[in-house]
Order: sequence, then structure tokens, then C-alpha cells
Amino acid sequence: MKKRDEIVVLTDAVLITCIVQRGSADAVVDAATEAGAQGATIFYARGTGVRQKHLGVLGITVNAEKEVLYIVAPSDHADHIFERIYVAAHLDTPGMGMLYMMPLEKMATYVPPEVATRFGHHAGRRG
Amino acid sequence: MSRDPGPSDPSLRYGEFLSAVRVRQRLVSYNRVHEEGRSQARAPQLRLVDLHRLLTPYVSVRFLEQARAVVPLALFLALFQTAALRVAVREGDEIILGMLAVMLGLTLFMDGVKYGLMPFAENIGFKLPGRSPTAVVLAFAFLLGGIATFAEPAIGALRAAGAGLDPARTPWLHLLLTRYPDRLVFAVGAGVGAAVVLGMLRFIYAWRMKTLVIAVLLPCLAASVYAGLDPRLAPILGLAWDCGAVTTGPVTVPLVLALGIGVGAAAGDRDNPLSGFGIVTLASLFPAMAVILVAVGLVAEVPDPGALPALAEVGTAAAWWDQTPVAEMIGALRAIAPLVLLLWLAQRFLLGETLAQRQLIAYGVVTAVLGMSLFNVGLSIGLIPLGDQAGNVVPSAFHAAQGGTPLYPYAFGVGLTLLFAATIGYGATVAEPALNAMGVTVENLTDGAFPRKLLIRAVATGVAMGTALGVAKIIFQWPMLPLLLGAYAVALVCTVLSIDEYVSLAWDSAGVTTGPVTVPLVLALGLGLGKAVGAAEGFGILAMASAGPIISVLAVGLWIRRRSAAEH
Repeated sequence: MKKRDEIVVLTDAVLITCIVQRGSADAVVDAATEAGAQGATIFYARGTGVRQKHLGVLGITVNAEKEVLYIVAPSDHADHIFERIYVAAHLDTPGMGMLYMMPLEKMATYVPPEVATRFGHHAGRRG
Repeated sequence: MSRDPGPSDPSLRYGEFLSAVRVRQRLVSYNRVHEEGRSQARAPQLRLVDLHRLLTPYVSVRFLEQARAVVPLALFLALFQTAALRVAVREGDEIILGMLAVMLGLTLFMDGVKYGLMPFAENIGFKLPGRSPTAVVLAFAFLLGGIATFAEPAIGALRAAGAGLDPARTPWLHLLLTRYPDRLVFAVGAGVGAAVVLGMLRFIYAWRMKTLVIAVLLPCLAASVYAGLDPRLAPILGLAWDCGAVTTGPVTVPLVLALGIGVGAAAGDRDNPLSGFGIVTLASLFPAMAVILVAVGLVAEVPDPGALPALAEVGTAAAWWDQTPVAEMIGALRAIAPLVLLLWLAQRFLLGETLAQRQLIAYGVVTAVLGMSLFNVGLSIGLIPLGDQAGNVVPSAFHAAQGGTPLYPYAFGVGLTLLFAATIGYGATVAEPALNAMGVTVENLTDGAFPRKLLIRAVATGVAMGTALGVAKIIFQWPMLPLLLGAYAVALVCTVLSIDEYVSLAWDSAGVTTGPVTVPLVLALGLGLGKAVGAAEGFGILAMASAGPIISVLAVGLWIRRRSAAEH
């Protein structure tokens, strides 16, 4: 590969996914941002779980409409963000949702040129 | 986290340092948790904080929806009374308690209807038209319409309305409300049932709304003319047309619509996007006719009401005020149980299906009964006294009471009163959640030609003018008949000129506006006002308030058509 075609690809990235009831995502995003997340992607979904199985009549209070948050974080911060989300989303209450994270092989996004240069990237010579 | 730096490696990753300091995680295999959970399948122990987290958001959203309808209206009434009329609100804390009961009751009731009744109705509406002969569907529709009327929260206000009437001036009206209130409710129920049947037939045979409205309205007006010209029957007209507005509330409309949509789907699809509307329309015309017919029968049956022994009246009048929660519970049960029974029977024997999610349905029914009991309590200690008080003191703006002088010059006082009435009509309509939902549907269906805000404003303006007219009717003691004929004649002309979509829409908006908070309040207001100015009866505000939006929405529809015709 020629040097001027180089792009910056980041490793040691982790994807945190959090599924909460519709309308709760904003609070979760706030907590995650405060914990160091750069941003979040939210999409709508429907889902079922403990609502039908365990909660009985109380299950009506759990909305089947969900919001799914994707947060990509550096692995060093991921555990911290993970924990903060757990607390902010009240995941210790049944029916509130779930949270998981997985390692990402690679990710790429905008990296400020001066930062990229520091890591040996030849800025300004790209495509 | 996973990589062990080892004792020989002096370097430590920052992330691992962070993990060690901050994170207290216990890693447990999901496999083992899953096995554990399967072996002892029992409900999780909920802490108090869990209950709070589950319930609070759920309840507060629903409660606030009701509060948005109740609080501004009540505040406005109280403020007007204290600021413009300089009379303090009597029994303020009791009324506040009543308002709370109304809001809480409606919250519970609506949720109960959603879980206890709607699943049935949707299932039946979806499946019955395809499986049963038309006659069975129509019979079921009739029963559903009639019985749903009993479960309507506002109907309780109607039952309670007769107590303040003067039997000497309006003998038959008094008789109907105090001695035979069941007949009145049955007439209204039968009227709604007939309307629902006709609505279903319209779905099946794709009749045009315009034809149907004209075909139903003309006999209704004819019956009104007959009654209006008979001095014994004339006072009943206001009540009769008010009944139409009372019936189309938060129970009847969704239930009937669920059935109607099923019938429409079974009959084949429509090209008219607004044809889903229209049933509600008829449900506000038929009861008027039914009540007039009952009144005609009553006049024939009891030629001289003064000769009847008066013992029953004392009991009814006392029972209106002195109700224990037990009585409210029984009343609510009597209103809701028949509806549940009908739906259950239809599900069991017409569809041959058993109940899914029994627990949820039980919850819904219990909640609905509880909610309705609370609402009824709130009705009698909160809404009705507030409306009654306001109606009682409003005339002091222009009317000298007990030798005193009126607060304001006559013309100004009357103007202020009418403005007050119009504001109540406008405010109550804008707050109505059903109208907002309808506005969204209409905006989507007309591709934005009829924006939501325009619809809400048009309906609210119509209601405001109608309310003011109704109040004027009571103040000046105008007879009901010319007002009705005039309003509906204008509506009829607009109907003939309009296209079918807007006809359904306009006539439906008349029914959507009169919710369970507005109806008792306005009814009590009218009765109190009637008593204070010495009118024979205080009905008719609701009737005018439902005629108003028909005209205003049709007019806006005509204007939209004209504008788009000019553009092309």
C-alpha cells in the first residue's frame, strides 16, 4: 500500500450496547457522555423479556418499545462507561433493559490531523 | 482486565489500572445463571425502589394527561369567580379533593379500559365480521353501542342533573330526570345502539356520509319541531340534544371504532381516506330522537305529573349528595360489568375463543371499576359543585340579586358572561386529548391540506361560539327550538355543499370534543346558571356546543377547497 493512501484505523475499541425503554435513552447518553463517551447512536426497536415472564400485572408498566444505544469507546474507558450506564439506566430493576459490550476488531472515524501525525500518520498526503 | 501483566512486567496499562481502582465487577457465567434461574422459576423480589422506578413514569405520564385537561379549566373557573365576580370559592378544599379524585379516577379508568376492554373489542372487531352473518354482527353492534353508553363516565352527571329543577314549571322534564332516569339512560343507550348499527351498515354498503347525515338529521329535526311546538314537551328539547353530546365519550368511541374498522376491512377497502370517521356523528343524533320519543311516551302515559305522589323525589335528591364510596363502587360496577360480560360472551360463544392474558384483563376491569368509582366521587364533590357555583354567581355580573346592585352595567356584564362561556368552551376543547389524536390522523390522511392546528382551532372556535350561544339561551330564556333549527339548518346547507370527507370529519368533531370533564362541568354550569336567572331549565349548552364545531369545521373545509381550487 502506498503511503499517501493511508487511513487511520483505531484498535482497542469496544462497542457498548444498551437497550432501554423508549424515552429513557437521553438520560443514559448523558451519563455515558459524562463518563467519557464521545457520543451515541440511538435507534428504535421493539423487544420483550422479563416483562412477560416475571412481572405479572406490573409488566404493563414496561414499554415494549425500546431504544437501543450504540456507544463505541476506547477499551480503557469502556468499563467505566459500562458501569455508569448500568447505574443511570437503573438496570438493577427488572424490566429496565440490558447492557452488553464487545471488543471491536477495528474502527475508523475522524481523527484530528495533529493527533494522527503524532502517531506517525503522514497528514495532508492522503488521496 | 483479561491480560495479566505478570510479576516480571513492570509496565501497567492505564485501563487495567482504572479497572482495578474503579470497577467492582463480579464475573459470573451466564450459563450458570441460566441453569440456576431455570431450576427455581419464581418472580423476582421487588424492592420499593424497583416499584417506584416501574410505576412512577408510567403513572405520571397518564396522570399528567388528565391533569392537563382538568387543572386549567378548574383554575380558570375559580379565578373568574374570585377576580371578575369577587366571590370566593366555597368549600375550596373539598373541590380540590374532588378534582384530584376526578384526575386519578380518569387515569385509572382509561388505563383499565385499555387493558380490560380494548383487547376484547379489537379481537372481536377484527374477527367477528368475517365469521358471523351480518345480522349477528349488527345485533352485537347494537348491544355494544347501547351498553357502552352506560359505562360512559359522563352519563353519571346526567343522572344527577334533575335534582335542581322546579317541578311546577317543567313537570315532565322533572319527572323524566327524577322518577324515570333509567328510562332516559335506556333511551340514550338505544339511540346509540341504533346509531352504531346504521354506522356498520354504512361500512358494509359504503353509503355516502352526506346522504346518511341528511337522512338522519331531517327526522331528528322533525321530531324536535313536533316536540318544540308542544308546550309540555318543549323544555325537554335541551336535555334531549344534550344527551347526544354526553354519549360520545372515551368508552363508546374507541370500542365502536374498533368494531367499525373490522367491519370496514371485511367489506373491502375504501378509496375515501376519511371514511373511518362517521359513526360518532350518528351517535350524537339518534339519542336526541330517542329521548324525544321517550318524552312523548311519558306525556301520553302521565297526563298530570302533579297528581303523582311525591315521595320518591325526596329520596333521589338526597342520594345525589350523600353518597358513600360503596354506592359509587356499586354504580361503577353496574356500569362496567354489563359491558365486560357482553364482550366476554361474544368472545366465548360467537368466536369460540378463550381469554389470553387473563391476569391483564382482570387488572383492566378492576382498574376501570376503581377509576370510575373515584371519578364519580370526584364528580359529585368536585366538578359538579364547581360548575354549579360558577353558574350560580355568574349572573351577579349583570343581574341584581337580593336587592343588591349588579357588579357591572348590564350589557358589559352579559358580554363578560358570554366571553367567559366562550373561553371555557375554547379551553376545554383545546385540552381534549381525543381531539389532538384526531387532528394528527386528519393531517396525515389529507396530506397536510387540513393541518392539525387548524382543525383544533376550528373545532375550539365552534365550541366556544356554541357554548356562548347556549349560555345566552339560558340567560335570555330563549326557546330551544329556533336555536336548534337555525344551527342545524346552517350545518345542513354546509353539509350539502361540502365533500364527503369533510362531512364525516366535521360531524365527528362534534362528538369528540365533549369529554368526561367538560360535560359534567358545563352541564352543572348551565343548571346553576338556569337556577340563578330563574330559567325553567338549564340544558342546551352542550347541544349548542356540539352544533358549533360542525358548522365551523365544514366552513373551514369549504374554505380549504376554495383556496386549493383557486391555486390550481
